[in-house]
Amino acid sequence: MRPSHRLFIFLLLLIFLDGALYLHAKHLGNILKDDRAVQTIAVAGLGLTDLCVATEARYTRHPAVSDPMAPFMDHPGAIEHFPTGSFWQAPANSFIR
Amino acid sequence: MAMIPKGLEKQLNTLDFALSSLWRRKLKNLGIMMVFSLVIFLLGSFQMLTGALTSSADAVLENTPEITIQKMSAGRQEAIPQTYIKKLNSIYGIRAIIPRVWGYYFDESTLANFTVLALDHNAMPNGSKLNLTLSDGHFPKKTETGTAVLGGSVQDILELGDRRVFSLFRPDLSLKSFQVVGIFSKQTDLLTNDLIVMNVDDARDLFAIPTSHVTDLCVYVANPTEIETIAKKIAGLLPDTRVLTKSQIQKTYQVVFSWRSGFASICLLTALVAFAILAWDKASGLSPEEKREIGILKILGWETGDILAVRFWESTLVSALAFIIGCTAAYIHVAFFDASLLKPVMVGWSVIHPPFKLLPTVTLADLLLIFTFSVLPYLGATVIPAWRCSTVPPDSAIR
Repeated sequence: MRPSHRLFIFLLLLIFLDGALYLHAKHLGNILKDDRAVQTIAVAGLGLTDLCVATEARYTRHPAVSDPMAPFMDHPGAIEHFPTGSFWQAPANSFIR
Repeated sequence: MAMIPKGLEKQLNTLDFALSSLWRRKLKNLGIMMVFSLVIFLLGSFQMLTGALTSSADAVLENTPEITIQKMSAGRQEAIPQTYIKKLNSIYGIRAIIPRVWGYYFDESTLANFTVLALDHNAMPNGSKLNLTLSDGHFPKKTETGTAVLGGSVQDILELGDRRVFSLFRPDLSLKSFQVVGIFSKQTDLLTNDLIVMNVDDARDLFAIPTSHVTDLCVYVANPTEIETIAKKIAGLLPDTRVLTKSQIQKTYQVVFSWRSGFASICLLTALVAFAILAWDKASGLSPEEKREIGILKILGWETGDILAVRFWESTLVSALAFIIGCTAAYIHVAFFDASLLKPVMVGWSVIHPPFKLLPTVTLADLLLIFTFSVLPYLGATVIPAWRCSTVPPDSAIR
């Protein structure tokens, strides 16, 4: 078998795998659509403002409604304490006081 | 084979030659491909995860409160007096003002941080449908004091099992007991995983907040196009408050997970630079053996274009395969393994680890960005030295 034929077989396998993943994404998308309908009710009914991703610090649990400058507010010159604070970017604060 | 056009047959032969050449130096080439795939995997995973979180936020936060008012004092948020509600009555166009009491409860025994939320949910939009968000039980009525609805992780961390009663400490360390009347469904974990929802009076009692104060105010307006105007009026009327509008809250998640966020950019740029150095070192410095090979091929009658075609095929194969493998692995990592490599840095020291049931976002723009950052520089780093070498006279190359 020519090396290029082996390569084509390998590429076909990758295409098959990616095709299967594409179908998975479609399926997952449909499941998440149902979830989102329920999530929308929770957001509206409880007035939620943020995703529950990191719960360690208020500025990463609720970045939309917490003090964006909180990492440096604990005492003058305080440096960042929580790991997520260096991973999450503070929102653009032109509108926030 | 007779059916294959001559030009294509030539390219196939060149491809065969390139593959054999790659296989001769398999250790080096497989090593480069593995590192290359790893870099693309990291970039792809980060982009797919943050894209999925951003699009989830976009979709579900559409019904977030139209205006949120918080009182500020010395640069920090503090409880807002209920008398502010009366002051707002003079603004025409406000449909409803709903006071909320919320805050964080740090459980010292488990080191978990819960979000405690209390409001009159019957006054909220969709408040009557809230029972649909529960997998079990119901939302407490106004008269049901001492009751709470728990997020999935809260129940697990408090190790309640079948028990329906739990206690939390007030600031003076006296205990306040609650009866669990509902558990949030797993479908809402992305929003409610750490939530404890209770009556306003219970929350006031738990946090020792006086009845004259609440944490913030949710404002709903009659005409949604007037949100910004009314927000400006509120800010003018209550100068010691921070007024957040729905659009500002929604914008937060468009920037919060960004390439520019410190940790991500340091890790990903370091990985890219490390790969660029590796690729340059491995690919650009042609070994004497490779130079001799080029010289021999030229003596055998190969043209510069043919040699370049072989090098081009070699680098295209290595980089394109690494690109496909890296992106495929990134999707599998985010979709099937909850982005377990990135999750620790996303959640930090959080004790509550919400499951990331997310649909990895794969957009053409992201793929092109990763392609441009990774594949194109590699092609340049390999083809240019080969072109330089193949233009020198063959006798000097093999000498």
